[in-house]
Amino acid sequence: MAVSLSSAATLSVDRCGCDYLAVFRAMATPCEVRSDTDDATQAHAAAEAVEAEARRIEAKFSRYRSDSVIGMINAGAGHEIEVDAETAHLLDFADHCYRLSRGLFDVTSGVLRRIWRFDGSDRLPNEDQIRQMRAFVGWHHVVWKRPVLRLAPGMEIDFGGIAKEYAVDRALAAARGITDAPLLVNFGGDLCVSGPRRNGSGWKVAIESVDKERSAAGLLHLSSGAIATSGDARRYLLKDGKRYGHILDPRSCRPVEQAPRSVTVAAGTCVEAGLIATLAILQGKTAEKFLKREGARAWCIR
Amino acid sequence: MSFLQSLRRGARFAVACLGLGALGACTTIGPSPWEKDLMARKEMQVSAYAPLKAADNHVYFSKEASSGGSGFAGGGCGCN
Amino acid sequence: MQLRKRRKGSVREQIAALSAGLLAVSGIPAAAQDNPYAPVSGVQDNNFGPGAAYSELDAALLVYQEAGGRVQAIEPSANLAVHGAHGETFSLGLIADAVSGATPNGAVPSDQVQTFLTPVMLSGGHATVTGASGGSTIISLPGIPAVRQYTAAANTLPMDKGFHDHRGAIDFNWSQPLGHISDVGFGGGFSREQDYQAISGNAHIAQNFNGDNTTLSLTLNTELDSSFPFGGVPAPLTVMSGALKSPSTRDKTQLGFVVGLTEVVSRRWLLQFNYSFDSQSGYQNDPYRIISVVDATSGEPTANLYENRPNHRQSQSLFLDNKFDFDPFVTDISLRYFKDDWGITSKTAELSERINLGRSFFIEPDVRWYQQSAANFFHYFLNGSDPLPAFASSDTRLGKFSSLTYGMKVGFNLTGRTELDLRGMYYQQTGDGHPADAIGQLRQQNLFAGTKAAFVFLEYTWNFH
Repeated sequence: MAVSLSSAATLSVDRCGCDYLAVFRAMATPCEVRSDTDDATQAHAAAEAVEAEARRIEAKFSRYRSDSVIGMINAGAGHEIEVDAETAHLLDFADHCYRLSRGLFDVTSGVLRRIWRFDGSDRLPNEDQIRQMRAFVGWHHVVWKRPVLRLAPGMEIDFGGIAKEYAVDRALAAARGITDAPLLVNFGGDLCVSGPRRNGSGWKVAIESVDKERSAAGLLHLSSGAIATSGDARRYLLKDGKRYGHILDPRSCRPVEQAPRSVTVAAGTCVEAGLIATLAILQGKTAEKFLKREGARAWCIR
Repeated sequence: MSFLQSLRRGARFAVACLGLGALGACTTIGPSPWEKDLMARKEMQVSAYAPLKAADNHVYFSKEASSGGSGFAGGGCGCN
Repeated sequence: MQLRKRRKGSVREQIAALSAGLLAVSGIPAAAQDNPYAPVSGVQDNNFGPGAAYSELDAALLVYQEAGGRVQAIEPSANLAVHGAHGETFSLGLIADAVSGATPNGAVPSDQVQTFLTPVMLSGGHATVTGASGGSTIISLPGIPAVRQYTAAANTLPMDKGFHDHRGAIDFNWSQPLGHISDVGFGGGFSREQDYQAISGNAHIAQNFNGDNTTLSLTLNTELDSSFPFGGVPAPLTVMSGALKSPSTRDKTQLGFVVGLTEVVSRRWLLQFNYSFDSQSGYQNDPYRIISVVDATSGEPTANLYENRPNHRQSQSLFLDNKFDFDPFVTDISLRYFKDDWGITSKTAELSERINLGRSFFIEPDVRWYQQSAANFFHYFLNGSDPLPAFASSDTRLGKFSSLTYGMKVGFNLTGRTELDLRGMYYQQTGDGHPADAIGQLRQQNLFAGTKAAFVFLEYTWNFH
């Protein structure tokens, strides 16, 4: 594939302590693969598999590319589109999560980025703009009868809320098919490990803090599972001293009120962790209560 | 764009930078959080191997005149 | 609007199931979905760190032996530390020891046999002796309370051979973050043996700065000790006798603080600096220890007096510790300077080098050098023709000496959660046993009563959830 040829040129794999560390950029995020091994060939092969999977998912589900599956779906709004098996699985997943969260998790909310641009400025949309956009948001407007999808004109599907986590889980699985070495796959803070390190200890993961005074909220020893973070550390609007995080409530079409600045969740898979983190932030001021009630292993920063 | 507008824009940009830059720990002295992997090891912990250090200190306390220093409050026994 | 209140954890369970389903149909085998919540058979949750609540149990055994038939001790201990998910820690420790053997009584050696008398513990009409084995005899004459008598051979350092003691101690500690304060806590301890008791308490506060690279801490500690020696507390600088003495108890109080700075200087270098201040008031004598008064010409002991130390002692120390991690070598260098108002100053330097051999094994040799000056009331003996000083002690602990310790520790990381450590240590004190002011027969004697000792220490650590 053309994708893997260009990736081989940009993939750097270097020795880092006891590991091999591969670094590349995909999905607009710094990505890394750590392999706890002394075998350079295995480390390279695992890293290449991870990068290939990341680029594949990016190419397939990026809303910025008209030739991606998502691009074609969105361009075909108003018509019936038959989707492939993988997209169908993701749409099933989105459907279940929409119902489970009573509308908080909604893959059709991506259109709101047309009026909410989170660039650190103070440009908020006005009431008219929000009202207009409302018509195009809502999974209940979508007709999904596997494998056929029908979007109303002007609506869009956006897997941005789970694509990165899904990519982490799939990329790790691809690398595990190649090597038995302990691996850590980290796409911009959403990460998953294959298991404990060679010496039996956990992978040391620093949980970033959003506060100026503290550069780390804590150091975690992870020997199984995944971590995902949802929050406004990097994308927000600031107006009149009020901070508007970039997680939008699809029901109000506005940023969630009184949401924690950051929620980090540890779970069995990255998809699971990411979804719980997103749902927690969508709870707004009761985020911590939600996480506690669900028994989630999570850290909230307000 | 007027002078005031550009000033405000610069200030907003600076605030955004501070918000982002804080994550890069540009104002702390010493290693950044992702550089503290070695510090998490047991052998680099100040409080590790406490029973062993206590045994050492017990011997030194009962045979020597100086006590404590490393934060371990010596004493508690009559080996005076 | 919130998610409808359902059974606790049900949303997460469903999400977990949905996620597993999504990944399964897209080709990821179930083995990839290890869940840290529910321990799956064959998968161990080895997550021990912030956010994980876990406990740590330590069991240890110390076996100690001094050369020349002197003190020997066995000390088992156990410690449990429980860590909460938000940085709280509670720890509980238990320690017991059994000590026996011979210990120098403080008198000088003589070219004649010497006899010493101490009281006998009477309980319910039967005489109890702290170890009649080892050369003591009980003398009872009608009308006079029984006394214990033991002798020291000519030209040997006089030792009381029959002493043994049992001790039990418990200590606890609680610490947690509080609001913006990184850590606060308090703790206490209680120790009791046959002739001594100590009750201690401490409190601390610590704050992290500089991205958690710097920590400043303040610890306050206090202790109340009670000494209740067999036969009562002797009046200082009176002649050693087997008579019962009074009072039966004397106390000592201690108050001190430690100011600490810990700094992560670089990725590989951790630095710790402490300043300690300590103040003790009350009874600080060793109630069993004597000092010989010798004849001004011949140097023969003419009387044995109970020692006396000042009622107040104030001390300060500066401590610096550096740890360097250059995998697989971890170096630890520490220095300490101590000074008190009894005239004692001491310097300590310690170096250890841990070498990680492979993933689960390490060796760590270490060496410690120590030197102290004598207390200003320390004397090997008292000259009979001089007036009696206010304070005098011949306890080696307060004398001028230097010591060297050689040690080796080996550790085995048995699984991700258990460790077994073994340490051997050899300790040797060196001092001048032939001081310039030795008189008469004392010139032929070695007056230094310092120790050579060795110990073996075994510790087993077990982490669990």
